[in-house]
Amino acid sequence: MGKLIGYIKQYIAFVKKEFNGYSKNVKIAIYVMLFFTAGFFVFGIQILFWGLGYTDMSNFYPFGQWIIGDLGLVGLGGGAFTTGFLLYIFRNDKLEPLISSTVLIGFLCYLFTFVFLVFDIGQPIRAFFIYMYPNWGPGLMPASMLTEVAWCLTFYFLILCVELTPVVLKHKVLDAIPVLKYIGHYLHRLMWIFAAGGTFLSFFHQGSLGGGMWDVMYGKASWFRAHHIYFFVVIILATAGGTAFMTLCAYVAGKVMKKEVVPKETFNSIAKVSGVMFVVYFAARLADVILMGTSWVPLFDRSYLSNLGGYYGLWMIVLEFIFIAGAIVLLLVKKFREDEKTFRLGIISGVMVMLTTKLHVVLNGSSVPNFPWKDFIGYNPTIQEWFIMLGGLSIMALIYMWFVKYTPLFPHVEQHGHHEGEAKAAE
Amino acid sequence: MAIDLDKCTGCGACAIACAQENNMPIFEDDSDIPKRVSFLELMKVTNDRDAKYPDVEVCYIPKMCQQCEGNDPKNPKPPCVSVCPVVATDVGDDGIVSQVWSRCIGCRYCQASCPYEARAFNWWKPRYEGDFKNSLNPEVSIASRGTVVKCQFCSHIWKRERDRAVENGVLDINAVTYTPACVASCPTKAFVFGDLNDPDSELCRLLEKEKDRKFRLVHTIDEKDEKTREKLMHIKNFPNPKVYYLTSKAWIREMMRFK
Repeated sequence: MGKLIGYIKQYIAFVKKEFNGYSKNVKIAIYVMLFFTAGFFVFGIQILFWGLGYTDMSNFYPFGQWIIGDLGLVGLGGGAFTTGFLLYIFRNDKLEPLISSTVLIGFLCYLFTFVFLVFDIGQPIRAFFIYMYPNWGPGLMPASMLTEVAWCLTFYFLILCVELTPVVLKHKVLDAIPVLKYIGHYLHRLMWIFAAGGTFLSFFHQGSLGGGMWDVMYGKASWFRAHHIYFFVVIILATAGGTAFMTLCAYVAGKVMKKEVVPKETFNSIAKVSGVMFVVYFAARLADVILMGTSWVPLFDRSYLSNLGGYYGLWMIVLEFIFIAGAIVLLLVKKFREDEKTFRLGIISGVMVMLTTKLHVVLNGSSVPNFPWKDFIGYNPTIQEWFIMLGGLSIMALIYMWFVKYTPLFPHVEQHGHHEGEAKAAE
Repeated sequence: MAIDLDKCTGCGACAIACAQENNMPIFEDDSDIPKRVSFLELMKVTNDRDAKYPDVEVCYIPKMCQQCEGNDPKNPKPPCVSVCPVVATDVGDDGIVSQVWSRCIGCRYCQASCPYEARAFNWWKPRYEGDFKNSLNPEVSIASRGTVVKCQFCSHIWKRERDRAVENGVLDINAVTYTPACVASCPTKAFVFGDLNDPDSELCRLLEKEKDRKFRLVHTIDEKDEKTREKLMHIKNFPNPKVYYLTSKAWIREMMRFK
């Protein structure tokens, strides 16, 4: 017992020493994140034990902030499968220095999608029903898009766990154990199989959670699209916005560490991919908006423009297109891509496209009135919703920081002889 | 079901009878309408919000689950059924869209997909204070917190009547009739309930007679000619609800269209 207390004391002293090594800004950021994390647990318990009455969702507005979080995280996490696919299947070796970071971000995004879902469903204790009583319908085609989402997310999450294993095994303590070292090495060599499987699964759940889930609602003028058009639009967005997010995370990590975490050519290569995909997304989204206005919404004897009223209407679509244009110009034009400031703006624009489109889908879609005599509905998330959302994101950031510091997440830093971690660099 | 809006006085007896029959919980703040659990909502519609007497016209529309069936009644596909990830909601042979509270995981996807806002979610734990516990209906199960509930046309009464008929030796299922609580409680007989598949039923005869007065909630495809309807139904499903409303007031029908 005395030995255990000794170890704990030793560990606390170690954490204190590490923490004191950080710069003032990093310390403030950690304090803020720990504050949100504490709120996440407090309000999380309240929601799980006392119910969703504490949210601003209602019978007229059943989807809120956590669903936006789910859509956004899965969409942004989509950069993991795109990068994996480009590296292991297309053999774009320039992306190698970024892959561990993308796998980790993908893993965190998917993990927290599940976490937010647990809070979002009214009966989390019955969550396993989705595996036990799935609504498959005849044949292999699932009847419910959510059934498909849950199954695909689960399988892809398992793949991400396997993909992440070699990264975890490179931790200096685990790396010293020969068996684990070999397992990590051979898993790494098999990674193309997982990348291919992950891409296959990702195509389905990206499309079904981001798009298919919404476009099948044939009773709702704000969401319905015939022929699953939105399903495909969203897959393109995941490849474009996801890669931009992966780049942004690595870029921010580099800025905090004050080091070159990945070579410039890696950023260049992935930014080009993102830019090209944004061109495709621009065409797809434009077609989607035009079809909504001319074909799908008129089926309900309503006008698309009238659906774009309320607090989250037309301006969000305009904003989305501005961000798309920004991402395309800043990521595709060589001059802008190679200039750090404009490159940074470009990847931020890419991530913002994802954010605005998800916000628009959920907020505007839910707020559109179902009866002509009703008005648009507003949604004002409660403190519980904010803390769980921001707390979840903070935990993700903290885990990412841990990996950056204690595992060789960016092998490029190691190869170039920078062994000191974030702490020393931040001094 | 058919509801004659010209006969409806908006007294709310249907909503109260429904709440009592189906064990609706009572919350501390039931004026919080967006979070209230009720199967039947009495919607107040006016011709013009700013109009003053005598130009103002008011109508109360009792709205419950419209028991949609989609384009093909033989293969019903209500907007809320196919979306459920755990098969907690289904359409039976009787055409009623049912919901199993104890199967529901509370994802609210069915609520989002319902164009009539007919489904309610238990945002709080259902409570029955004091004597209310003694008046609970043992034929309707009490829902847990965090589940979606909905009107099922009091199908438990139908099951009770069916069992009673079998006990009396009547094995023809179509011979069984019943009256849902809202229909039974209406003092002006504004509700008519019956079998839409039976052309001799009172309901079918009424709908046949009142062709010019009948309409369905925000279902504008009904106003189009048959050819256009068929064309549209090739493109997408339409809810095709089984609840009809009757009125001779043009402004109410006008209100069903989005401007």
